[in-house]
Amino acid sequence: MKIVKNLVAALSLKSEFAARRNKLYRIAYAWSHDSALSDDLVQETVYKALKNADKLRDIATLDAWLYRILYNCWQDYLRVKGRNVEFVEMHDSEQADQSDNYQQSQIVKRVRSSIEKLPMPLREVVTLADFSGLSYAEIAEITDVPIGTVMSRLYRARQNLKQELLEFGSDNLSELVLRRVK
Amino acid sequence: MVDHNISEERLNLFIDEQLDSDEMDAIHKAVLEDATLRERVCQLKAVRELVGYAYSEVPPSRYENEKNKRIQPGFYRAIAASMLVFIGVLLGWSTYGYTPKAVKAISAENAFQYVANHVTVDDRQRKIVLHIDSGDIKVVNAALHEADQLLATYRKANTPMKLDVVTNKGGINILRDDVSPYLARIQKLIEDDDVTFYACARAIQKARKKEGADIRIIEGVTTDKTVRQLIPDRLKNGWVYIKA
Repeated sequence: MKIVKNLVAALSLKSEFAARRNKLYRIAYAWSHDSALSDDLVQETVYKALKNADKLRDIATLDAWLYRILYNCWQDYLRVKGRNVEFVEMHDSEQADQSDNYQQSQIVKRVRSSIEKLPMPLREVVTLADFSGLSYAEIAEITDVPIGTVMSRLYRARQNLKQELLEFGSDNLSELVLRRVK
Repeated sequence: MVDHNISEERLNLFIDEQLDSDEMDAIHKAVLEDATLRERVCQLKAVRELVGYAYSEVPPSRYENEKNKRIQPGFYRAIAASMLVFIGVLLGWSTYGYTPKAVKAISAENAFQYVANHVTVDDRQRKIVLHIDSGDIKVVNAALHEADQLLATYRKANTPMKLDVVTNKGGINILRDDVSPYLARIQKLIEDDDVTFYACARAIQKARKKEGADIRIIEGVTTDKTVRQLIPDRLKNGWVYIKA
C-alpha cells in the first residue's frame, strides 16, 4: 500500500513541481537576462536539491529552500565571473526570435532595462519580492541578510524604478497595469 | 486626526502588508482621504505590478524546448517516471552519492518529483519554531505576519501543525503586558491557533536587573526555560527553525 501511496503522491505533485522549475528559471532569468545561463543555474539548483534532499524537513518551506539554493548558485557564478559582470552584454540574442509577443512591448523593454540598471543586490531583492511574491522574511533567509536590509533594498529599488518609469510616461504605465488587472 | 505625513518606506511596508493591523488601518484611512497619498500608493503598486509583469514571459528554457519536442505517451510515461523516482527512494538514491553524472542525466522533472516524494514520505507532524530576538517593529511585524501565513497555509492544506514562538533579548518585550502593542494579536494566536509562546528566562532575568523592576509577562506564556534550552531541543527533534 505504501508503494501505491508514494506513487500517487509523486503523480499528484508532478505538475506542482514542473511549475516550480519554471518559476526558478524565470527568477534566474530576471537576475541574469540570459536564457542559457538561467538553464544552467536551474540545472545546478536541481542537482544540489537532489544531493541535499534529506536536509529539507518540511514541504511548506520547499519554495524558499529552492530559491535559496538558486541564489547561492547565482552568487557562486558572480564570484567566478567577478561582481562587475557587464549585464548589458549578456542580453539574450535569441530573445527576439523566440518571444515576439512580449518583446514587441516597449513597456516591458523599458521595465527590464530599468531593472538592469539597479545594483545587483537591489535587483535580486525586488524580483524575489515583486515577481516571486516572497515575504520579507523569506527573502532575508534566501539572501542571508537581515530583514531590515531587505526592506531598505526593496525601498531603494522601487524608488529607482519609480523614477525611471515615471520618466517613461505615466500614461503608458497605467495602460499596462490596467490591462493586467483585467 | 489621521496623519498624512507618511514616508515612502512606510508606504512600501503598507503595500506589502508588512505593518500590523492598526497601522494598516490608519494608512488605509489616510489614503482614502488624501489624493496625493493615494497617487503615491498607486505609483508604488504600479512599480510592483510592472516588475512582476516584466518577467511573466521569458525566452523558453532548453528544458521547455526539449519537453515540447518529446512525444507524450501520457499516463504510462508518468507511471514509468514515478516508478523510477520511487525505486530511487527505495534504494536510498544509491547513485547520487558517488556518480554525479548519473544524477545530472535524470531529467529535472523527475528530480523535483524525487524531492517531493522524499518529503511526502516523511509523515512527521509539521513542527515549526519561530525565533524572535528583537523588539524592532519591523522584525516583529514580519514575524507575526509569517506566523499568520504559516498557520493559514497549513490550515488550508488541512495539515496538523504546531507553532512555537520563542523570544529572547528585545523580543520578550512583545510579551510584556505593560509595554507590548501586540497583546491582542498574540492572545489571538494563543487562544485561537494554539500557538505556544516562550519568553527566555535568562532574558527576563537580565531585563529585571537592568530596569530594577519586575517584568510582567502576559498569562499563558512559558517563562521557565532559556532560549538555549528551547531551540536546540526542538532542532534535535526535527522542528523547522525560522529566525525572524
